[in-house]
Amino acid sequence: MLGELLGPYRIVSKVGEGGMGVVYRARDEVLERDIAIKVLSSRTVAEKSAREFLLDEARAASALSHPNICTIHQVGEARGELYIVMELIEGEPLSQLIAKGSLPVESVLRYGVQVARALAHSHGRNIVHRDLKSSNVMVTPEGLVKVLDFGLARRLRSDLLDESLGTLDSLGWSGETIVESTGGLTGTLPYMSPEVLRGEEADHRSDIWALGVVLYEAASGQLPFRGRTAFETSSAILRELAPPLPSWIPAGLWAIVQRCLSKEPQQRYQRASEVQAALEAVQSAAVAAGGTSSEARGPLTIVHRGIRHLATKDGDVLLLVGTMKGAFLLRAHAERARWEVAGPYFHGQAIYSLAYDARAGRRRLWASTATFWGTFLRSSDDFGRTWTNPQEANVKFPTDCGVSLKNIWQICPGCPSEPDTMYCGVEPAALFESHDAGETWSLVRGLFNHPHRPRWMPGNGGLALHTIVLDPAKAERMYVAISAGGVYRTEDRGGTWEARNRGIRVEFQPEKYPEFGQCIHKMVLHAARPERLFLQNHAGLYRSDDCGDSWQSISNGVPSDFGFAMLMHPRDPDCVYILPIESGEFRCTPDGRLRVYRTRNSGASWEPLTRGLPQKGAYETVLRDAMTTDSLDPAGVYFGTRSGELFGSIDEGKNWKMILSGLPPVVCVKAVVVGEPRGARRNGSGQDARKSPASTPAKRNARKNKSRRGKG
Amino acid sequence: MAITFHIPGPLRVYCGGLQRVEINSSPATLREAFEALYRECPAVRDRLVTETGQLREHINIFVGTENIRFTGEFTTPLPAGAEISILPAVSGG
Repeated sequence: MLGELLGPYRIVSKVGEGGMGVVYRARDEVLERDIAIKVLSSRTVAEKSAREFLLDEARAASALSHPNICTIHQVGEARGELYIVMELIEGEPLSQLIAKGSLPVESVLRYGVQVARALAHSHGRNIVHRDLKSSNVMVTPEGLVKVLDFGLARRLRSDLLDESLGTLDSLGWSGETIVESTGGLTGTLPYMSPEVLRGEEADHRSDIWALGVVLYEAASGQLPFRGRTAFETSSAILRELAPPLPSWIPAGLWAIVQRCLSKEPQQRYQRASEVQAALEAVQSAAVAAGGTSSEARGPLTIVHRGIRHLATKDGDVLLLVGTMKGAFLLRAHAERARWEVAGPYFHGQAIYSLAYDARAGRRRLWASTATFWGTFLRSSDDFGRTWTNPQEANVKFPTDCGVSLKNIWQICPGCPSEPDTMYCGVEPAALFESHDAGETWSLVRGLFNHPHRPRWMPGNGGLALHTIVLDPAKAERMYVAISAGGVYRTEDRGGTWEARNRGIRVEFQPEKYPEFGQCIHKMVLHAARPERLFLQNHAGLYRSDDCGDSWQSISNGVPSDFGFAMLMHPRDPDCVYILPIESGEFRCTPDGRLRVYRTRNSGASWEPLTRGLPQKGAYETVLRDAMTTDSLDPAGVYFGTRSGELFGSIDEGKNWKMILSGLPPVVCVKAVVVGEPRGARRNGSGQDARKSPASTPAKRNARKNKSRRGKG
Repeated sequence: MAITFHIPGPLRVYCGGLQRVEINSSPATLREAFEALYRECPAVRDRLVTETGQLREHINIFVGTENIRFTGEFTTPLPAGAEISILPAVSGG
C-alpha cells in the first residue's frame, strides 16, 4: 500500500489500525497537503454491512465542522477500496498522556472543556459519538483537543432527541450496530454507560457518561470502573460508585465527574454544554483562587503508572535494588531461576536505602528518595504500586541543631519484639528513631550530643551514619557505624553511647589506633552469636568477640583488605562474605577480577568465589549496601555494581550469574522472602542441592521433587 | 494587588496542579510571600528549603528576572504585583 496512489492521495506511512480498517498518512497531490486516510481492509470491505457502516460513519462526521472535531474531507472509492479522508492531526492520544503520569488539574480542565465543546456541537446536530474514550481524544502539542472517530455515531431524528430528554423507552438499541462494531465494543466497555449495558439505546447522555469516565481517568490516571473480566467491569458500571478522586483534585471537578457518572441518564447533565460551563467555572475558580483553596495540598500517596508492577505471592523472593536514578524491584519464585523486573520507581531520584518490614503482619517496603527537592522516607504496602508521599519531610533535624538532612543512608526495622520501632541512619551523621512503625521520627539526641561529634570528619561520601546493627538478644543494645567516626555502642536504647574502636587501625591520622575517628565501611552480626561482630574497615577486616570492646584483624589472605560491602550468612554464624576493592585512588576490583570472598571459619581464612563472575577487565565497585542474602536454604547471595550490573548466586556463592545489566549505578540491594518461606526450600534441600544448584534439568527436577516431598 | 508564583513541574502536584499561583496580598519581603504560599500549599516548604531555612542548593528563586541569591535571599523586598519564579538550577549528574 505504501507509495501507492488512492485517488489523488499518495500513501506515505501507516499511522494506526482499528477495528474497521487501517489509517495511513497520505499526501494530497492536488492540494499539496498531508491528510489521514482510513482504508477499509479488503477482508472487511467484502461485507456489505461494514461498507455501509463506514459510509454512515463518514456521512455523520462530515456534517460536523468544529475546531475540536477531526474534520472529514471526503469519502471515496478506488479500485474497490473504500476510504475516508480526514484531517491529519499531529499529536498524542489523551490515553497516552494519561499513561505517562498524572495530568495537572489545569490540563484535565482544559482538555475536558474542549471535549465537552465537541460533544455540544455534535449533539446539536443530532449526532451521538457513542465511542468516546481517551484514545479517541487527540491532543496537539499546542494543547488543542480533537475528538476522533465518530465511529459509532449515527444520526438520531431530532424528534427522538427531544423525547430522549424525558424518556429512554422510545429508543431501541439496534442489535445490528453491536454486531457491526464488535471491533470497538470490547475496547470501549469501560466507557459504556449503564443504559447501554442494559441493552437500551445510547443517546447523547451516554456520551456525557463517557465524558465523565474520560475526566475521571485524566484526573486520577485510572478508570472509574475496573474488573478483571468484562463481566466484572460491566457489573461495576451497573452497580458500583466510582472511588473518590484523589484529595488534591478540586471538589468542583469531582462533583462534575460524579454527576456525569450518575447511573440514571436523567440524573446526569442533560446537555454537553452544561458540562462545558461547569468545567469552565472550576477552571476560572482554580486560576483566580491560585493556591488559596484548601484543595491545594499534595497527594498523600504516589501512584506509579506506566510500570508493570510485580504480582507477588508468598514464598517469592524479591530483590529491592536502589540506584542513583530510581528503584527497581525484581521477583522470582523460590527456585530463583528467572527474575521479573519492575521499575524504575522514583524515576530520576537517588535511592540510598531500601528496607522491608515483615513484623506484625506487615509487608511494607521502605525507600529513601533524594533529589534537589529534598530527601524523604516513603513506604509501600502493595509492593510498589503506591507509595506514601509525606507532605512534610518525615526525617528532619530539629531547628536548634543548626544542621540539615542530606541523605538517609540506612533504614532499619527494630527488633521483632518491638514491632513498631524503626531506626534510620543519616548524613550528616545522626540516628533517628520511630516508635510508631515509621509514621513519625525523632532525632536520637544521645548520639547527636556526643562530645566526639564535632570531631567526626566526612569521608569521600560525606559524613554519614550508614550502618545500624541491633542486638537481637537485647533490645537495649545497639551499634552504629559512622564514616568517619567509628563504631559506637549503646546499652540503654540510645540514651548514651560509647566509642568501640579499640584495635581498629586508621591510615589517615598520625595516631594509628585512636579512640574514634575510624572510617568504618560495614559491620555485621549473627543473631546466633550476638556478642560477635565482623567489620569491614576503610582498610582492614576485623572481628570482635566481646560486643565491640576489642577488635582483632582477620585480613587473612584477601587480595585487598579494603572494601565496602560485608555480609553475614543467614544461618551460619561463622560465614561472612566480602567484596575486596583496591584501596587508594583506584577503588575498583583488584586486577580487573570480580571476586567475592567468603570465610566459613569466622575470618581464619578467606576463599575466592569467582565461578560465573568476570575475571578479566572487570573494574567494578560494589558499594557498602549493595550486597545481600536471602533467607532460603541454600542461601541466595546478590550484589550490584556501580556500573549497573546485578549478579546473583543461588548456591551460597559457588556459582554466579548476571541477573541484570544496564542499570544506573547500584547503591543498595536487599533481598526479601515474601511471607513464610516455603517449607520445601527450608527443609527439603540437603547436600545435593548445595552441591548442584544451577545444574542439569534432571537434577533440578530431582530437587523439585524433593522439595515437594518436603512441603508435604 | 496579587503576587504571582510560577511553579515548576515537580512542585505543581503540591499546588493543586497549577503552573501559576496567585495570592491576593502585598507582602513586604520574599519571606512573607513564601509564608503566604506555604499557608496555602504546605507541602512546598520542605521541598524548597532545608530545616535551617536555607534555600535548597540546586534550586533558584527569581523575583522578576533577578536571582534572589544576589538580592538578599528571603529578605529581598518585593514590589507590588511581583512575579516570583521557582526553578531548578542548571546541574548535572
